[in-house]
Amino acid sequence: MVIPPAEARVYLDINAPTFVQIPIVLPKWKTVDKTPPTLTAKVYDILANDLTLAGFFKVIDHSRIPSPLKEREGIPNPASLREWTSNGGEILLAGEALLNSNSNLILKFHLFDLVEQKHLIGKQYEGPSQLLRKMVHRIADEVILQLTGEKGVHNTKMAFVSVQGGRKEISISDFDGAEMKQITQNQSINLSPAWSPDGKKIVFTSYLRRNPDLYLIDADGQNFRRLTSYPGLNAAAAWSPDGKKMALMMGMEGKSDIYLIDANGNNPKKLTTGHGNEASPTWSPDGKQIAFVSDRSGSPQVYIMGAEGSNIRRLTYEGGYNSKPSWSPKGDRIAFCGRVENRYDILTIGVDGSGLQRLTSNSGSNESPCWSPEGRYIAFSSSRLGGSKIFIMNANGFNQRPLTSAKGGESSPAWSKQFE
Amino acid sequence: MGKKGLVVLVLILCVGLLLTGCPKKTVMKEEPSMKKAEEPVAEREKAAKLAAEEEAKKAKEKEFEKSLVAKKEPGIAGEVFESRLLKDVHFNFDKYDIRPEDAQILKDNAALLLKYPQVKIQVEGHCDERGTNEYNLALGERRANAAKKYLLSLGISTDRISSISYGEEKPLDTGHNEEAWSKNRRGHFVILSK
Repeated sequence: MVIPPAEARVYLDINAPTFVQIPIVLPKWKTVDKTPPTLTAKVYDILANDLTLAGFFKVIDHSRIPSPLKEREGIPNPASLREWTSNGGEILLAGEALLNSNSNLILKFHLFDLVEQKHLIGKQYEGPSQLLRKMVHRIADEVILQLTGEKGVHNTKMAFVSVQGGRKEISISDFDGAEMKQITQNQSINLSPAWSPDGKKIVFTSYLRRNPDLYLIDADGQNFRRLTSYPGLNAAAAWSPDGKKMALMMGMEGKSDIYLIDANGNNPKKLTTGHGNEASPTWSPDGKQIAFVSDRSGSPQVYIMGAEGSNIRRLTYEGGYNSKPSWSPKGDRIAFCGRVENRYDILTIGVDGSGLQRLTSNSGSNESPCWSPEGRYIAFSSSRLGGSKIFIMNANGFNQRPLTSAKGGESSPAWSKQFE
Repeated sequence: MGKKGLVVLVLILCVGLLLTGCPKKTVMKEEPSMKKAEEPVAEREKAAKLAAEEEAKKAKEKEFEKSLVAKKEPGIAGEVFESRLLKDVHFNFDKYDIRPEDAQILKDNAALLLKYPQVKIQVEGHCDERGTNEYNLALGERRANAAKKYLLSLGISTDRISSISYGEEKPLDTGHNEEAWSKNRRGHFVILSK
């Protein structure tokens, strides 16, 4: 019998259909030397938010730690770990921040198992202070890797549509909604952003020239250029996993069909036939199949076909409106937007049509699901707080939280790959 | 001098002939002259009628001309015109067929377009906010093309009509109820060139 090393212990099987969140205690971080305390507070807040958004933890932050422990800062003495278990904590994450004379930020953290009274990992990151957010995200990822066996998604980005001055522009932000940056300023109608597989470019549809055409822009807002302008719709483009092609909606024949084009916009090839309205293509992670929406049966439903347009089969049968599919990176499930009891909710279904799961309910209109790059989360837009905002949740529907604290009007999220 | 005297005489003879000439000839000549006498009245009436028609036509032309309202939007190239004489058609939820009660609207629009053969239009397909943005783009494409096909069937040439889908992106009424939604599910006509 092989006993796995203690470090490899998986505290949480995040792929299980249900799980209990691990209570993790976050004592106040210690401010070292002349580091501004506001900097330490910022590190602490971002870290607490990262772990909350991750969905795997019940975060016991310092506001929920009883006195006198509440005032205790920094990394505890391993001999005194027991006192931290008093409020049900099972894991403890502690750290300290130092801004050195070179304006470099040094973040030191230690992770402890309170149940087994042992030290799990301790690490130190150093970098220019403007990278604070990125460094904290990396700590969160490290903690998640340690406790779940899989890295987190904290160095990913989100592209989405944001309403600015009454017009729909394209914006990007960190995965948690921070550092939001508007990358188009054309006052047109800009829709359906999608990342290139290498995370460098975003393709989207814009009405700049009084036709819904495809445009490209680099993720930093540079190199804005038109990609296609075929007559009618050029919309909902999705890059193939190898980045060589795009599937999209085109209306050259007077109705929307699914087409393939080369990544440079050339060689349109029609994949769908018949009289239906076809929409929203999404690739299987191996690039061999495409799921899409069609109303060929009389109502919009999700279908799957080979990437050359062959072997079309219907995937969804329940409900009169199922749209905007998104294929999971693990390949086994498809998320989509369905109408249930006159509301729009996020559902997932196995690619064989089994295991239909409704992930949102009684919470406004929920649309446009997309998966995180490793498939543990789903981002979507929801009107539950008033205007449309982007939310993320675990792939099983747990821990639904808004990403953007912005004014509302954010929709159509697209999740980037994991950056370095 | 003698030559001049002869010319004068011939003229007098001629006048004499005209005054005392054959009565038959006179009658024959008089018939057309009587008609001539009636003509001015009929012609005047006809001319007046024509002028009135012309004026009405001009007024109508002016009515169309006057009805044109220029529309320029930020972020969308070009200036178009809208006319209250080109009326919207509406659609049922999730449908794109022309409703029987809207057929007359398209016939009236077609009649106007036949009268102004230089006018080029664009049919916009619009949807209400329910459902996904992308599926609504597909639906709007279908709605615009349904209206376009109907106009083509009424004899409007294909190079005069283009179509565009705006999906749910340009609601007329931003309300979240059936009253707003039914207004937003529309085929709208804009004039690209007059």
